[in-house]
Amino acid sequence: MNKPKTKIYLVDDHPLVREWLTNLIHQQFDLVVCGESEDAPHALREIAATAPDVAIVDISLKSGSGIELIKNLKAMQPDVVVIVLSMHDERLYAERALRAGARGYIMKSETAKKVVMVIRQVLAGKIYMSESLAAVFAEKFVDGRLPASGSLVEQLSDRELETFQLLGKGYETRQVAEMMNVSMKTVQAHCAHIKEKLKLTNAAELLREAVRWQENNPAS
Amino acid sequence: MLQIVKQLENRSRAALITLALLLVVLIGAVDYLTGFETSFSIFYLLAIGLAAWFLGRGFAIFISILSVVVSLAGDLARGAHFSSSFVPTWNALILLTFYLVIVWLLTRLRVFYQQLEAQVRQRTAALTDEMAERERLECELLEISEREQHRIGQDLHDGLCQHLTGATLAGQVLEEKLEALHLPVAADASRVVEIIEEGINLSRKLAKGLYPVEIEADGLMLALEEFAITSSKLFKVSCRFECDLPVLIYDSATAGHLYRIAQEAVGNAIKHGKAKNILIRLDASEDNTVLSVKDDGTGLPDVLPKNRGMGLRIMAHRSAMIGGLFNARRDETGGTLVTCELRAKSSSEKTP
Repeated sequence: MNKPKTKIYLVDDHPLVREWLTNLIHQQFDLVVCGESEDAPHALREIAATAPDVAIVDISLKSGSGIELIKNLKAMQPDVVVIVLSMHDERLYAERALRAGARGYIMKSETAKKVVMVIRQVLAGKIYMSESLAAVFAEKFVDGRLPASGSLVEQLSDRELETFQLLGKGYETRQVAEMMNVSMKTVQAHCAHIKEKLKLTNAAELLREAVRWQENNPAS
Repeated sequence: MLQIVKQLENRSRAALITLALLLVVLIGAVDYLTGFETSFSIFYLLAIGLAAWFLGRGFAIFISILSVVVSLAGDLARGAHFSSSFVPTWNALILLTFYLVIVWLLTRLRVFYQQLEAQVRQRTAALTDEMAERERLECELLEISEREQHRIGQDLHDGLCQHLTGATLAGQVLEEKLEALHLPVAADASRVVEIIEEGINLSRKLAKGLYPVEIEADGLMLALEEFAITSSKLFKVSCRFECDLPVLIYDSATAGHLYRIAQEAVGNAIKHGKAKNILIRLDASEDNTVLSVKDDGTGLPDVLPKNRGMGLRIMAHRSAMIGGLFNARRDETGGTLVTCELRAKSSSEKTP
């Protein structure tokens, strides 16, 4: 008796992509598509029912966001390994997707030649990202900019930490100033210090770090 | 003179009638006091002119007759002596005719003047309407082009690119089938997949140009940062993006317009200003959010060439469409400073 095939679930809002991705996967002797869906709520139900080994998820879906779906899957179906397949720029979304719980990120323009290889790689327990993205991460790591670890955050003063937390909760700087009862200039000074202490290069990065930290430390 | 006419224009009819009559009486009195030998007939024209210009032909004729009567009565009362009663009658008639000719000329002139004024008013109104319409059309054009670009960009990204992805997958399926049959044409199929992949990347680049700002609230910061880097590389200048505080723009149309304003300003700085250093800033304070683009180029010329005025106007339109305050001026240091300021309310704040 052969080993049972690896079950794969597809979540993509484009029928042609689903159709040919299915054909491609079925061509592999050890892989099978166990279901497909074009939106997040349906996918979540089906994945619970079919218990696939791998879910291939697009970030933009008919309804619901792919990133949210990944977070939900990680919480509710931790055994399902998620690979993100997206038309969106990996520099903007890959980090978010991987931090949300995905184990691989493939740009759609590279999918055809790589998807089967990536499926096998994540099944082997490895993370997949493109070489150029891996280089970006490596650079950040060497510069000590990745990630904003607990120890770095501990270096923040109380007021800086409060600013960091409020930004992470999604408040606008203007609202942060109001809530902390200080001027925008003060918030600006706090932000400058936070950037320096956490080794962040710009405001967008600061915001992203704050959101990520908040997500990982929701109790704070 | 014109001022006097303007002042009189605002007076009531009754006041003007009183003034005309008073003038006749006054001039009549002086005429009487100076005796009959000196002629005063020219001065009555003051009253007659006043009546003709402001009070109409009928009243002007009346004042003319009154003037002749007063003047003649005065002369007779001072003992003017004529060889025959025909002479004063003749003189009076000559004088009256002279007055009437003047009245006719003045009233005609007045009609022409009024017609001309009405015409100028009409033309000015038409021109103002035309300008407003033109402004509106320019705005609409901008909105349409923005909407269409957005739509085409999105169609490229979500439609064509996905379709091509399907095609690469189909090509890959074919390649593997051919390979399984050990056919050398499998390499061709592989090449086809690569060519389509290049097509996807090309379409994505096109889509990015048409719709540069991602819909996330921090999309503008990211897009401007990327834009600064690409501009530096592409044009061999130093273009930096600075943003001290995270600035979130929740309205994607606002973010889009701000991005295009920055793009246009940087383009102008390089193309027309020959700038070497450009600084794009996004700042937030208690009551506003400000996008600014500052360069070290030649600065705005005092008189803009025709084609440049258009770019500035479009930036101003974009700013107006998102409720912003636009300003482009020569900076103290010589370069150009372009700013678009949004009041805190209009940056569409949202509570998380």
